[in-house]
Amino acid sequence: MAEVKLVNVSKSYDQGKTWTLKNINLNIAEGEFIAFIGPSGCGKSTLLRMVCGLEDITEGELSIAGELINDWPPNERRVGMVFQSYALYPHMSVAENMAFGLKLAKADKSLINSRVEEAARILQLEALLERKPKAMSGGQRQRVAIGRSIVQQPRVFLFDEPLSNLDVALRVQMRQEIARLHNRLETTSIYVTHDQVEAMTLADHIVVLSPLALDAESNLEQVGKPLELYHHPANLFVAGFIGSPKMNFFDGFIEETGNNETRVKLTTGEILTANVDSQSANKGDRVVLGIRPEDALAETDNGNAVEGKVETLERLGAESYIYMSHDTIRENFIVRVEDSRKREVNSKMKIELPIQLCHLFNAEGKAFHRTQAPAYDL
Amino acid sequence: MMVQPRNLKYRVWTARIFMILFLCLIMFPFLMIISVSFRSGNFATGDLIPSNPSLEHWYLAFGIPWENADGSMTQPPFPVLLWLWNSIKVAFISTVLILLLSTTGAYAFARLRFRFKESMLTAMMILQMFPAVLALVAIYSLFDQIGSYVPWLGLDSLGSVTVAYLGGLALHIWLIKGYFETIDLSLEEAAAIDGATSWQAFRYVLLPLSTPILAVVFILAFITSIAEYPVASVLLQSMDNLTLAVGSRQYLNPQNYLWGDFAAAAVLSGLPISIIFLLCQRWIVGGLTSGGVKG
Repeated sequence: MAEVKLVNVSKSYDQGKTWTLKNINLNIAEGEFIAFIGPSGCGKSTLLRMVCGLEDITEGELSIAGELINDWPPNERRVGMVFQSYALYPHMSVAENMAFGLKLAKADKSLINSRVEEAARILQLEALLERKPKAMSGGQRQRVAIGRSIVQQPRVFLFDEPLSNLDVALRVQMRQEIARLHNRLETTSIYVTHDQVEAMTLADHIVVLSPLALDAESNLEQVGKPLELYHHPANLFVAGFIGSPKMNFFDGFIEETGNNETRVKLTTGEILTANVDSQSANKGDRVVLGIRPEDALAETDNGNAVEGKVETLERLGAESYIYMSHDTIRENFIVRVEDSRKREVNSKMKIELPIQLCHLFNAEGKAFHRTQAPAYDL
Repeated sequence: MMVQPRNLKYRVWTARIFMILFLCLIMFPFLMIISVSFRSGNFATGDLIPSNPSLEHWYLAFGIPWENADGSMTQPPFPVLLWLWNSIKVAFISTVLILLLSTTGAYAFARLRFRFKESMLTAMMILQMFPAVLALVAIYSLFDQIGSYVPWLGLDSLGSVTVAYLGGLALHIWLIKGYFETIDLSLEEAAAIDGATSWQAFRYVLLPLSTPILAVVFILAFITSIAEYPVASVLLQSMDNLTLAVGSRQYLNPQNYLWGDFAAAAVLSGLPISIIFLLCQRWIVGGLTSGGVKG
């Protein structure tokens, strides 16, 4: 067990002409479970592979347990990794797969046996120890891959999208098993995923990465606890990435700044109020107002509302999603309602945006602080 | 079982008949050679099943004097068993060396990054296209020179032939490299994280998964070495140092074709290849890598 520290870690595959990752600064505390999340191409897997030594670090410093290990080969870093593709040794049985590392380290036979047996017990693999990987299901293989890294008692566990090859039911089950395993072993863990549900449910802290823009300083967008990211996204990218369906964004201008209430005029002329502190901005500044589909209220109007047109309706029984159009909307305009009533397509509909639930972002995409956001336990 | 159209039956039978005819065509010369080796006297033509079979050529091939019908003795003309042993020695040692060098070379080309990799690969391929025969004179003078410093690698030594055969390496490097590239890199990465050095990942993960191609290369290299004629015929001179392929030529003197003895020696030379093939066959299996990674 150990803490992991990244200082200005950057990665370029062409000697600095273009960068995949730039200025990643992270402090991962001992025993913490941290998730890297981001769309494909954001470099989250690359970052993980840099931690375990499968990719070299172009710039910056990486240390585990206080030791600078930039130039250590993977076999000396004492980390465990679970691959997306499982990467089991196909010519070895389950027991041999798990014992491989310890055998290389010339560990005692009895120690190897006891470690393998313990891992098998934790992961319910006892009955499968003599099987070859090809005679097992996807979930079992992934469990063996986890077992293989457990037996080595690594200082850090690395998971590279471990569940994305499994079907949905199995994914939920394995997610819980990984959570249980972490509670039990309390090993520092880094978990890469593009599935925000996995990140939200498993991680103590989430690191949101974005594909690096040409002139960006860094592609580390925000680090925070799961609900912190949900309620206080630092910028447009995180606001759009965390939450499903995506947050709705309206283009507008600041009508009136304030330390608690900010009035925003949409380009359609509609005036909306949001509980954010916008003292740093000026009247007339371009802003983006955001509201989550689950926060917007359909068919009501308490004064803070927009009028849109119903385009399609998805009725799922317990809830429905109304897909709307509006002149100032970016990308999508979705409202979640908790009924399954039928709505006429192409009909006009008022959507209320509760004042305390609105998000506001400046022209650079940075969020204004929300003053009345609902309380939540961290 | 899939439903098949009726005329498929006829097509299957046509294919079978064609293949049987083709097989006969291929087998005929082989059966002829066996037949000649059991025929008394040295005649190339005759019935496929000898009218008066005799073991005289086989006695002579194994180095045992043969007592003719009139009581006279025929001494074995050439040391066939010694030639066979020479062939096996050369083929086995050169094949083992080829396997060692080409697997490690292929690993470098498949897995490591270095300058001029692509051009080296292309160069090897192109150089391999020139037959060794073109270089016979060069090979001769090369080993002539080497022999003055290292006698056991000089002209008329089996060592020189063994080393000369290593030249056929490029083809095998290409073959093995192609196979290595089908094996998912993440297996070796997993091994590295498990604490394996590059060598250990190669030895304990990549190599065991590559046994089919190693067996194929072993067989190919072995056959090539056993059957090779031009290089061996230039480098080897004294009777006791010949390989079987070169030695067989001795039977075919302009005035006196010893067909029967030649046939017996030829059949004998097929023996090591057959044995090697049977031994290696069990390694040529598919599906070794299945189950390792999610496809």
